[in-house]
Amino acid sequence: MEAIRRIPLSLRVPLLAAGLMILVGIIASRQVLSTLGQVQDARIRELAQLQVESLSVALGPHVLRDDIWEVYDTLERAAGETEGRRMVFTAVADEHGHVLAATDPVRAPLDSPISALTEGAQTPETLSVTGDAARVRLLAPLLYQGRAVGQIMTELDVADLVAERWRAGRLLLLGNALATGVLSILGYLAMRRMLMPIARLVRRMRETADAPEPIPESDLPRGDTEMTRLVRTYNAMTDAVVAKADTERRLAERERFVSLGRLSSSLAHEINNPLGGLLNAVDTVRQYADRPDVVRQSADILSRGLNHLRDVAQATLDQNRLDRSSAPLSFEDFEDLRLLVGPEISRQEQKLNWQVSASGEALSSFASAPLRQVSLNLLLNASAAAGTKGEVSLMVSEKPGVLCLSIGDSGDGLSDAARARLLSDAPVPPGGGVGLRLVHDLVKELNGSVSSERKESMTFVDVAVPIAPTEVSSPC
Amino acid sequence: MIEFTRRTLLCSGSAAVFLGATPTEAEEPFHLGLTPVFLDNDAEVIGRLRTALAAALGVPIELEQRRTYEEVTGLLLEGSVDAAWLCGYPYLQHKDALSLVAVPVWNGKPLYQSYLIAGKEDDALKLEDLRGGTHAFSDPDSNSGYLVTASDLARLGLRPEGFFRRTIFTYGHRNVVRAVSDGLVRSGSVDGYVWETLAKAEPKLTERTQVISRSEWLGFPPFCARADRMGEARLRALREALLGLGQTEEGHIALGLLQLDGMTTATPELFDGIERRIRDYENLR
Repeated sequence: MEAIRRIPLSLRVPLLAAGLMILVGIIASRQVLSTLGQVQDARIRELAQLQVESLSVALGPHVLRDDIWEVYDTLERAAGETEGRRMVFTAVADEHGHVLAATDPVRAPLDSPISALTEGAQTPETLSVTGDAARVRLLAPLLYQGRAVGQIMTELDVADLVAERWRAGRLLLLGNALATGVLSILGYLAMRRMLMPIARLVRRMRETADAPEPIPESDLPRGDTEMTRLVRTYNAMTDAVVAKADTERRLAERERFVSLGRLSSSLAHEINNPLGGLLNAVDTVRQYADRPDVVRQSADILSRGLNHLRDVAQATLDQNRLDRSSAPLSFEDFEDLRLLVGPEISRQEQKLNWQVSASGEALSSFASAPLRQVSLNLLLNASAAAGTKGEVSLMVSEKPGVLCLSIGDSGDGLSDAARARLLSDAPVPPGGGVGLRLVHDLVKELNGSVSSERKESMTFVDVAVPIAPTEVSSPC
Repeated sequence: MIEFTRRTLLCSGSAAVFLGATPTEAEEPFHLGLTPVFLDNDAEVIGRLRTALAAALGVPIELEQRRTYEEVTGLLLEGSVDAAWLCGYPYLQHKDALSLVAVPVWNGKPLYQSYLIAGKEDDALKLEDLRGGTHAFSDPDSNSGYLVTASDLARLGLRPEGFFRRTIFTYGHRNVVRAVSDGLVRSGSVDGYVWETLAKAEPKLTERTQVISRSEWLGFPPFCARADRMGEARLRALREALLGLGQTEEGHIALGLLQLDGMTTATPELFDGIERRIRDYENLR
């Protein structure tokens, strides 16, 4: 079956046609031979009936008188006059089944039982020559004046009829084989011609390197056939493929612009956030230039802020791949964050709850940049959501194998758009900020998870990142 | 009134006799009885015989053929035929009513034999060896084709129907040879003259048979006529014609075809041998 499937369609269809032709040929031949057999049967039955009736008329009186010589002599003469010696042997028996005479007395001796000769004998009504036997036996009652006075057993030579049937069979076989062969070749060529458009189509599709090429109008099959429609559909499909490729190219281009926008926005965001703290440090230096300890502290802040800006710039350069080889996360990073968000908290007269209870060891297993970025974005977002005189909180805790960051605000909770950006992997619709999506992406890169819940008029965004980087974190 | 003179009357009488008798004598065909028991239906033989006799007798010859000796003998006795070629046995059966006209001469003698024949491969050497077999006779009134074998058996105290398992009559000596030759029957009783003639004319028929025994020489089947008609001119003419058959061309050809030398006169004593056999046969019966 598998082998048949591997045969090309252009060969399989003509082969199928040839097979059907052969089948039809065989059926037709059988029908012809059957009809020939019936005709021969009818002919031989008529002949046998005639012969038996003639013999009955001629032999009746002799059989009745037990005149053996006359029976024999009549049989001899009848056998000699039979056309083509059809009847090769005839025996006549009396009503008791004893042979009176036969054309071959040695084979059927006088007074021997005729039953010894009648094995397989047929009656005139059912006489058939459809077998391969060259001779058939016929047993008929010898009727004289309306009553059976004996029996006639005759052997008919039907070799010519059998040979005729064989000859007819051979001729039919030869004729059918010839016709089937010719028609198969014609069928093969016709099918091949009819299937040529498909072959061309397949070749075109196979040879297609990038974009499928349409088949020229000049090569279209003539008329409005299935093939024409198929090729036209193929051509329409190639046009659609080209159009789709164009669309994809345009979309990719637009996406590039969107990414560029996001990058710019992120860059501005990341630069803008620490700028408040840095400017504050500069003001502190100016104001307390005479106090070396304050100046040193401010210089440290400036240094860390500028380092952060450098990291941001580095991260921007790496696009979405933040530098994991930067300095490990420490308590100072959270202090920096407190300083960075401090101006915004003060400006909005908000209350800030700050609690970092995780161990330094746990913190140091992470690079500082991603979690600083995550914390900063979420804190700024929480501050914006809490509004004037609102409440913002940061809690950094540690569970076995998991570092938990929980940022809360007293605002109305996350909008659907914000929730989609932060919590789901679905594509971000155009427009809106990129900060929350950046949080989502960074946490995902750390194999962490983000969840949100509202508890006692507070909205919390919980971030859980596994301390062992390969494990997926469980929620905090 | 018409006056008749003696001369006129004589002339008239002569004319009347001539006119009344001569056409009857001249046109009445001669009826000769034949049987295929002895003479097979050979058209040429019959034609030649008829022509030769017609030429000799001066009248047409009507050959009356019947299947059996009994039928031909019956025709002869009732007068339906003028003469017949019979067998010695029916002649002797009706010896008082029949007379011999002529007897054929074969191999220089008016004698022949009866042959007991069997198939070529049969190992029988004598009649007794054929016991229980099937046997073909030619005619129940034939000397060579029945009486000889039946009387031989009678001399042994046997009857054909008891000695043989089955007997058939073929009503022709040639048919007896065919029946034995084809294997229809094991043995047969046949005219020795016919068998010898067939051995020359149709050797393929006789070569599948063998002669087991031959009888003594017996009187050849004669031409007979009713004794009370032997004085008739046409029967005398027949005798002359038969005796002189070899003298005419047609007669010579006919005799040649029959493989006979000619015809001769004979006395009833010629058939004494058959007579003895009849007695032996009838004694048992």
